[in-house]
Amino acid sequence: MTLPQPEPPETKAPGAPRYILVMFAVLAIVAIGLGFYALHLKRKVARDAQAAAEQQLMAPPVNGPPEPVILYIANDSDGTLRKTQLNVALPAERSERARAVLRTLLAQYLKPPSPHPVGPASDVRAVYLLSEDTAVVDTNSAFADAHPSGVLAEELTVASLVLTLNANDSKIARVKILINGQERETLAGHADLKRFYEAGTIGAVVKDMQ
Amino acid sequence: MTSRFPLADNRSRLWLGLILPALALAALVAHLATVHAQPADQLTVYSAQTSYSVPLLDVKGQPYAGLVDVLEPLGSIDARPDGKKYKLKFTAPGGRAVEAQFNEGKDKSKLLGQNYKLPADFVLQNDRGYVPLSSVAEILNKLLAKPVQLHPAARRLFVGEVPIRFSLELDKSNPPKLVVSFPSQVNPTIATQPGRVRFTFRREPVVSSGQDTTNFDDPVITGAVFAEHDGLAELDVMGTAPLMASFADSGKTIIITPVPPPPPAPPPPTPEPQAPAQTQAPQPKPPSGPRFLVLIDPAHGGADSGASITASLVEKDVVLALARRVQRELASRGIVAGMLRNSDVAIALDQRAASVNAARPALYITLHAANTGRGVHVFTSLLPAANLSRDGFLPWDTAQAAFLDLSGVAAGSVAAELESRKLPNTTLVAPLRPMNNIAAPAIAVEIAPPDDNVDNIASAEYQEQVAQSIAAGIAAVRSKLPEVRP
Repeated sequence: MTLPQPEPPETKAPGAPRYILVMFAVLAIVAIGLGFYALHLKRKVARDAQAAAEQQLMAPPVNGPPEPVILYIANDSDGTLRKTQLNVALPAERSERARAVLRTLLAQYLKPPSPHPVGPASDVRAVYLLSEDTAVVDTNSAFADAHPSGVLAEELTVASLVLTLNANDSKIARVKILINGQERETLAGHADLKRFYEAGTIGAVVKDMQ
Repeated sequence: MTSRFPLADNRSRLWLGLILPALALAALVAHLATVHAQPADQLTVYSAQTSYSVPLLDVKGQPYAGLVDVLEPLGSIDARPDGKKYKLKFTAPGGRAVEAQFNEGKDKSKLLGQNYKLPADFVLQNDRGYVPLSSVAEILNKLLAKPVQLHPAARRLFVGEVPIRFSLELDKSNPPKLVVSFPSQVNPTIATQPGRVRFTFRREPVVSSGQDTTNFDDPVITGAVFAEHDGLAELDVMGTAPLMASFADSGKTIIITPVPPPPPAPPPPTPEPQAPAQTQAPQPKPPSGPRFLVLIDPAHGGADSGASITASLVEKDVVLALARRVQRELASRGIVAGMLRNSDVAIALDQRAASVNAARPALYITLHAANTGRGVHVFTSLLPAANLSRDGFLPWDTAQAAFLDLSGVAAGSVAAELESRKLPNTTLVAPLRPMNNIAAPAIAVEIAPPDDNVDNIASAEYQEQVAQSIAAGIAAVRSKLPEVRP
């Protein structure tokens, strides 16, 4: 006769409890989801930056027949400004016209290979005419934040903007540069942006540079 | 096997599974934060040529000093990482080149071809090499072949036989007089408090003469205490009456005396006038002679790095190295040159101009660096010349206009020296801040790479040539620039 064998004690399978496993699974899914979202955001930022840069490379809006525009193009390699002429359609209103001229100038600097690179997405937000001879150029943040830093590099940019404005509207003799609507101490650590620049003085400087 | 304490078991697993990794992560973050800590404090270095401060890094609670920061003002240094290695070539003025090699994360190194064990691992951060502070004296001793002393707690390093020891001599006459004698001129800042006068030596290598505390057997001047800490030295003189200090012997002697009591109230008129009491009239300080001071302003500093020359080289470091070379070159030509900053500190543009104008230099020179263009650009201010008197008040925004002619002379001389050394150069005017606000002859020098290799902007040979040109250019026009009475 065999005695009834006692039932073996109930054992649990080794390992973490179910709720821990569920929690880890949820966390893993959330982490993977966030990873994909971060990747998506990174690509979106890159796409937006590229779109902004491409937008800058476009010519100003065409509102009329092309007209000759004089540009003073800076060249970093020899520290000079060269006078060149392009045919561009310009708006009729004076401040809009000045803005279009400066955007044409920046487009030259944004086109690779540039003789005088400026920051990607640099733009002129507006040009205000305070009086017959005084203009205030309002640039965007990217223009200053991403501008190459250096005494000569920054001076060339300022001189290029001032002389180009003066060459296309000879009445504009004094120019001040704002960044995103605000006065800033320097362009990128060197060139003074708190002052008005006289086109005549800058013209004399450029003569010395040639 | 069945657990007898299932709840406790679950808690243990939770502990092991979640909290321990969290703690490990926190420990890792804390470790990284320690290694990449901000500069904790500064080390003051005294040498025969100059005194300067270098920032110290706190690495795992131990102070570390940057090799380039310490060695650069003492000679020519060429240091660069090579993989995990950090190779350094140093040439003291008039000496021969010596080499050293360190290994990132290791304590084994080589100095002059011989094995040397650092007290802790070498640290490489942002392509800069750092060694434990406690090893700096021995490393410098081998590289410079000079005695070097470190006072680690006080953060003071003495290169060569530079320590200045002073003597105290109390004259117990009435009133008593304490004479503090130094072997060379000193220029401490002086602060007085009731019953104490404190002399703080920031730039002079003043050290204790033997005993730090001296007690005098005098009822008025009772004692003196010397202490050094945080890169400076202090001498406190205590007394029971208010004390005052005066300098004598061209700044080599400080005399401390009690402040004389106020003159007695005038006596009421008497029929017979009395002879007035003899009071010692204060001796007028003889006017010091005019002096020729050049102020060097290495641009940027602190959070303002200036231009990014390369991925690992920023403008603020390039110009500080160049400024130190220019200062040395000027000193070798007998010209006293001060530095607006001698460490990695931020100074606002207006503050720079205000400091320069207060110092009344014969010439102000601001140094910049860029990776665009080639060679050296010498600038004067972009201002229309104005016929302003230099003696009266000058408008802040156009103060430089009164000095444009002299600034042009200095710029032309520096450019001529650059030309004579066949360094490509351009002389221009520029709208550079804070040049317009400087009430003294002022020039700016911007160095760009000498060739297509941008890294060469920091090469010792190139910087030395530029520094020599600047110093020689200034020396050549010294007679044309006005010496200024301080």
